[in-house]
Amino acid sequence: MIVGMQNTTTAAIAHEIDEMHVERGEAALGRVLTLIISCRQAELEEALRTVNAASREHPCRVIAIVTDASLEGAGCAITTTGHAAQHECNTEIPSGNTGERTLDAQIRSGSDAGAGEVIVLAPVDGLMDHLDSLVIPLLVPDAPVVTWWPGQAPGDPSADPLGSRSTSRITDVQRSTDPAAAFEALRRHVRNADIDLSWTRVTTWRAMLASLLGQPPHLAVSAVTVSGQSGYLPLELLASWLALKLGAPVSVERDPGAQAITGARFEREDGQLSMERLEGDHAVIHQPGQADQTVSLPLRTPVDCLSEELGRLDPDEVYTEVITRGWDLVDHRG
Amino acid sequence: MEHTSSRTTEDGASGQSGERSWTNPLLDPRDLRMPRIAGPSSLVIFGVTGDLAKKKLLPAVYDLSNRGLLPASFGLIGFGRRDWSADQFAAFAEENVRAHSRTPFNEATWRHLAEGMRFVKGDFDDADAFRRLSRTVSELDRDRGTRGNHAFYMSIPPKAFPVVAEQLAASGLSKSAPGAWKRVIIEKPFGHDLESARELDRVVGEVFEPDSVFRIDHYLGKETVQNIMALRFANTMFEPVWNANYVSHVQITMAEDIGIGGRAGYYDGIGAARDVIQNHLLQLMALTAMEEPVSFDAADLTAEKTKVLSAVRLPKDLGAHTARGQYAAGWQGSQPVIGYLQEDGIDPSSTTETYAAIRLDVDTRRWAGVPFYLRTGKRLGKRTSEIAVVFKRAPHLPFDATATRELGANAVVIRVQPDEGVTLRFGAKTPGSAMEVRDVNMDFSYGRSFTEASPEAYERLILDVLLGDPPLFPTSGEVDLSWKILDPIEEYWSGQGQPEPYRAGTWGPAQADRMLAADGHHWRMP
Repeated sequence: MIVGMQNTTTAAIAHEIDEMHVERGEAALGRVLTLIISCRQAELEEALRTVNAASREHPCRVIAIVTDASLEGAGCAITTTGHAAQHECNTEIPSGNTGERTLDAQIRSGSDAGAGEVIVLAPVDGLMDHLDSLVIPLLVPDAPVVTWWPGQAPGDPSADPLGSRSTSRITDVQRSTDPAAAFEALRRHVRNADIDLSWTRVTTWRAMLASLLGQPPHLAVSAVTVSGQSGYLPLELLASWLALKLGAPVSVERDPGAQAITGARFEREDGQLSMERLEGDHAVIHQPGQADQTVSLPLRTPVDCLSEELGRLDPDEVYTEVITRGWDLVDHRG
Repeated sequence: MEHTSSRTTEDGASGQSGERSWTNPLLDPRDLRMPRIAGPSSLVIFGVTGDLAKKKLLPAVYDLSNRGLLPASFGLIGFGRRDWSADQFAAFAEENVRAHSRTPFNEATWRHLAEGMRFVKGDFDDADAFRRLSRTVSELDRDRGTRGNHAFYMSIPPKAFPVVAEQLAASGLSKSAPGAWKRVIIEKPFGHDLESARELDRVVGEVFEPDSVFRIDHYLGKETVQNIMALRFANTMFEPVWNANYVSHVQITMAEDIGIGGRAGYYDGIGAARDVIQNHLLQLMALTAMEEPVSFDAADLTAEKTKVLSAVRLPKDLGAHTARGQYAAGWQGSQPVIGYLQEDGIDPSSTTETYAAIRLDVDTRRWAGVPFYLRTGKRLGKRTSEIAVVFKRAPHLPFDATATRELGANAVVIRVQPDEGVTLRFGAKTPGSAMEVRDVNMDFSYGRSFTEASPEAYERLILDVLLGDPPLFPTSGEVDLSWKILDPIEEYWSGQGQPEPYRAGTWGPAQADRMLAADGHHWRMP
């Protein structure tokens, strides 16, 4: 169900949500976190689709803030598209606000909101400078707050009005207009609770490679090569992590035609161990003296990545080390 | 209950290769997002066409694989009487995985898993079949790179254990090469009394090292059961009242709404107490009553459970403080059902109990004078398992007597299944001008707060076996202690003739109610 609220206030939204909980016999206290999404109108529906799927695993309250809204004109500033637009139960709550129009909102619940509720906010003008006080009345009481920027990442997430109040800050620089520059900014300002989804995308690779090196004989690795798509940050992070942990030189082979990460090769005195992703969904593992093995290795979806982040709210110290100390151990040019 | 110390012993690092000091440079105890992936290995299932394998084991293996927790070098061998090829076995497995798996069916995952499937036809007393099994295992080592690591899952009746164990020893399958492991997984019942449990231990112990034997009590793989430890030892608000000063008594219930179904051959002569109390309920009791372990490593956890089980005292008057019953015909929910004695394959004069309730005391300072009531039964009101810690009433109530008439005892209820979670029960003022206090519930539900589907207990336990991570498996010492608790009660019951009948779909025999009433308590209605 989608409830539209034009020219409204946070008090009216909070009231509406409480009413909804009473009506549906749910306890809002059951939610274990608030997820704030800061995005542009064009990114909204895709971000909500991702979060709705991930919320099946992590029921949460979602507050999506549309940062490029315009309240000029008669209609609601939030345009619903796709599945949500076809939904029949859309209702409008008439505005009781007598002041200047600064905020339009939508509350989505039931099949339009996964396993939680979604509040979409479209603030304008002066309110844009006070996004923190905009969301405060809507947060789940005494629960962690996670902020996610699905599009352009802020240069310094912990200084952002929303980020500064968050338990955990999720960026996705790969989707910024200039990923390299955005990542440089993140690296300069990194704080404990920051995480970039580029790191989440390599978890499967990291786990498989750790399991590969976990098999005897346990010999030292003398050199590593990783390969994949050019300008693909997860590949660079994987290389930096390996360099940091193995203390061996790591080189990166970049191919503009490749998709994501395509392989990792370890040189040891007994020969080469490798894992190569051949097609989209599987990889071949080669070890000296063993038959080659095929393993299922599908590309990680945005839902996988977001689910992993919501399941893990504690600061990732390993990530911080990788982007600060590990990063400089690898040549990222080219 | 993830604990960092197990990470360093993962995979091959736990082998007997003398490389114990080696730690995987890519693993970091702070790196909590990395999943624990099992090392190269295979799972050999005896009794692969049985119900457990069909409904739980095969789906759990698939779910593990779908979650990316099984290695590329993984093999699955079915051993059974059917005249099947590997492909026919894979088709059988696929059918059951599609019907019972928790995660969605993914063709690519399935294809990789199915490539590692083999089937060995044979009887348990057929030495040739075990030679074929041995060849199949070597073939997996060669083609799939399982590196000599194999786990044998005994999903078979306990009377077949000795012969299978002997065959495994004779065919050399139980021996592991340096750096590799062989493990055996056995399911309850671990014997039917102390003597038979020790005999079983002896038989399995002759073939496998004690730390290679994994006894599965699937209750311990459940999230809620592991949450008992989080609830008790991660919080400050429960531990101060978790003792005889505040607790009046503890009720541990596992109720089933089904009858014995097709398990007549196993169930008759065993009964509810041996089937459920000896393993699940005594384990739940141990986790509820034990002191804080030094760490969550297997040895420390076992030490605390052993302490509390060895402090258990039986009531002097077993007649007054135990109860047993047998379900009679009645209506289960909205369906007419037959009584136990009318079930197929049951001796009409059987004295096997389908309901058992016992009182146990724990002779420690923490629990002196606090009875633990354990009950289980078939064809009861509904399917539910819970641990209820019931508190004493407030020593003084500064209200009119009428104000607290409706007030019961405070309680912390850990709901094990279904609807996993925790309920707190306490009194609150009813709205209105008069002062009236009534019981209300405060609820935590796993489904609502965390995830709609937590992993099945078998997923966790199979993965733990493959990783060689033993904290969630009861040791033979715990099994022996449990039988020492139950044996005198069984002996007493065996001289008491027919158990008291109770109508199907109710909460058990009147004897059970009298047993609690004698202590001034009553059973909670779960």
